[in-house]
Amino acid sequence: MTLLHDYPPPGPPVPTAPTAYRPAPPTQPPHSPAPKGTPMNANPSPNRHALSVLVENNPGVLARVSVLFARRNFNIDHLVVGPTEDSKVSRMTIVVNVSSEQLHKVTSQLDKLVEVIHIEELADADAIRTQLWAINDNGPRPVGAMAAAAF
Amino acid sequence: MTATHSEPIVDGATPTAPGTTGGTSAPGTRRTGAEALVATLERVGVEHIFGLPGGAVLPLYDALYGAEGIRHILVRHEQGAGHAAEGYAMATGRVGVCMATSGPGATNLVTPLANAYMDSTPMVAITGNVASSAIGSDAFQEADIRSISMPVTKHSFLVTRPEEIAATVASAFHLARSGRPGPVLVDVTKDALTAIADESLLQLPMPGYRAPAQPAPEEVRDAVELMLGASRPVLYVGGGTVHAGASEELRTLAELTGIPVVTTLMARGAFPDSHPQHMGMPGMHGSVSGVATLQKSDLIISLGARFDDRVTGAKSTFAPGATIIHADIDPAEIGKNFPTAVGLVGDARATIAELSSEWIRRTSAGAAPDYDAWVARCQEWKRRYPLGYEAPPSGALAPQYVIERLGRLVGPDAVYASGVGQHQMWASQYVGYERPRHWINSGGLGTMGYAVPAAMGAKVALPDTTVWAIDGDGCFQMTNQELATCAVEGIPIKVAVINNAALGMVKQWQALFYSERFSASQLPSKQVPDFVGLAQALGCVGLRCDTPEDVDRTIEAAMEVDDQPVVVDFRVCKDAMVWPMVPAGTSNDDIQHARDLTPDFGEDE
Ligand SMILES: Cc1cc2nc3c(=O)[nH]c(=O)nc-3n(C[C@H](O)[C@H](O)[C@H](O)COP(=O)(O)OP(=O)(O)OC[C@H]3O[C@@H](n4cnc5c(N)ncnc54)[C@H](O)[C@@H]3O)c2cc1C
Ligand SMILES: Cc1ncc(C[n+]2csc(CCOP(=O)(O)OP(=O)(O)O)c2C)c(N)n1
Repeated sequence: MTLLHDYPPPGPPVPTAPTAYRPAPPTQPPHSPAPKGTPMNANPSPNRHALSVLVENNPGVLARVSVLFARRNFNIDHLVVGPTEDSKVSRMTIVVNVSSEQLHKVTSQLDKLVEVIHIEELADADAIRTQLWAINDNGPRPVGAMAAAAF
Repeated sequence: MTATHSEPIVDGATPTAPGTTGGTSAPGTRRTGAEALVATLERVGVEHIFGLPGGAVLPLYDALYGAEGIRHILVRHEQGAGHAAEGYAMATGRVGVCMATSGPGATNLVTPLANAYMDSTPMVAITGNVASSAIGSDAFQEADIRSISMPVTKHSFLVTRPEEIAATVASAFHLARSGRPGPVLVDVTKDALTAIADESLLQLPMPGYRAPAQPAPEEVRDAVELMLGASRPVLYVGGGTVHAGASEELRTLAELTGIPVVTTLMARGAFPDSHPQHMGMPGMHGSVSGVATLQKSDLIISLGARFDDRVTGAKSTFAPGATIIHADIDPAEIGKNFPTAVGLVGDARATIAELSSEWIRRTSAGAAPDYDAWVARCQEWKRRYPLGYEAPPSGALAPQYVIERLGRLVGPDAVYASGVGQHQMWASQYVGYERPRHWINSGGLGTMGYAVPAAMGAKVALPDTTVWAIDGDGCFQMTNQELATCAVEGIPIKVAVINNAALGMVKQWQALFYSERFSASQLPSKQVPDFVGLAQALGCVGLRCDTPEDVDRTIEAAMEVDDQPVVVDFRVCKDAMVWPMVPAGTSNDDIQHARDLTPDFGEDE
């Protein structure tokens, strides 16, 4: 194959957001809570990508995004949904573990969802994952949960 | 005034807004949600709806009762309504509309929605749902069709407020027909239909829905640069050129450049079959020249095609020498299956026209590509390996012969709709298509039962055009109930049942790959059902044909009937197979033009 130039062009796809919706730069929390339970594999991965996705705050939008990931066979590592200053808009922060080639497929399929307004790749996916892991790790220990449920 | 409910409504019944009869408002009062919906359908130009009522949509049907400009065609099964809307859309490029009630009515639309999604068919489905206060309570005939349809629609809406109905329906039509076309579902709760609609919006804002891009001029330049530098280019033409209405532009580009053309199953007719540059269909059951031209090329110029696995065969061995230029309106298609050298995102019609202008600019400045050796090679494949079939045992009727004669006697002005299976492949191979939108079939989902309702939809859209359904005896038994609709509503389609007493495509695979263990693939369709009797019972003329001598006469007899649907039971020999074939999962290089016969492609350069 001779490639004149890569399609898509190299680098993360960064569509321009309407100014009102431009996400604030990720802020560092004052301290990183130490993980309490499940040890996290802290190795940085070149395939880890964090996406900040602005979506219309409609009922069913989370289902729609999840259905897309399931249907296209993409795996979600972490997913957080929250409000923004605009009540009509929610932000999803999605961490995925895919190659950059796959990442383009993820974002171009996501971008087709009518309710997805803006997608941006966040810079430090590993750090974001660490934060999400810490928040997530407050619940019951999963160890043995599957086995216990079987009885 | 909006309807408010003080008590939860658990049975899906809804209060009626004061001053209304349910769906329609009393004269002089403001209109109901149902009336707003019907008015919006009229405003966006809807003339035909295929549907079937039920409790949740009674208000809507009440409002439709008085609608002058809209003809509602009452189907016998909602799947028929959906495929009819698809046939209507595929024959005209207009948005097809179907309508169903909540619960089972809505779920019966899932197959057509999925089919339309795979084939990028513009369609709007309108369903009723239980009252908003009952949602989530497992109310009678409640189904979450908005969620059920998520993975098989371009978008799906649930409307619970009467004032949002008009805006949502208008937006649904905009979504269905703009960009990459597709099905859109609008589910409306019964209370929203009955309440008074104070409209505040005409169109939803949809801040995330972008108008399709235009290819950048430098991308067009890069594409033409590659074309000029190639020695074995091919125009790989797909359904997107049909959606774009780009046949004229395509012909200009092809004739300007002299590049050989292949058309996918979804694009049959986008480029005339009779054109000398047409190498046929690529893919699993494509012609040898169609497959070889794509496989041996060094530059694939894809125009509204999506590198489906039925076309590429085993991915790792597909067109190993080829660079790809990919023109598609959907950015997500570019690079989805294969790395692409140049992506041209935009409507195929504009894109193809720009390629032609740039080509003219470059060639008049002296660029002179030389494809002669390549074109000669392609023409040699076409000459040496024409489509053909073995004569059946004496006296028996070959299915290919029936379809060939049908194409010849009926001609390229008719619309042909097919089911899924062997007959579909033969219909794509032997009819002969000269114009786009004259071949309607289910390509991506491969939905058995598509033919009869799709033909019905096409005939409603084009009442002055002859419409033939070419169907299998298996497929026909899935949706023939719509012939009753055709008979009652005055939609005189014609159906050729290619009756091989088998789920033939399945049987063919069992013959080739499962040691002739014909598990569950044989049908007694030459005894049961009696297709002629069945046709008559459904209000149609029924004809039968058993021998090659009778074929022309029977087709002519069918052509003479124009006030009633006609069904012809062509009882063909049961062992015919579709050739050529690239067995699933193998390389296009291993194509067989007849059983165990692999063509000689000549030396690669
Ligand atoms: C039994 C069976 C056997 C089959 N065998 C074959 C076979 O041998 N050969 C074959 O070709 N197919 C075959 N198919 C069909 C196959 O499964 C696919 O449906 C088909 O190949 C897809 O056609 P396409 O690439 O033209 O894309 P389509 O499905 O028609 O998609 C159209 C593409 O064009 C784009 N588009 C839409 N509108 C526009 C526009 N305005 N401008 C630009 N782009 C646009 C869309 O985004 C999309 O990517 C078979 C199907 C069945 C059921
Ligand atoms: C709804 C549905 N069920 C099953 C299949 C699998 N399938 C593909 S072709 C085929 C046989 C079709 O038989 P028939 O209509 O008689 O056509 P023939 O192949 O004999 O021409 C079957 C069962 C399908 N495509 N669609």
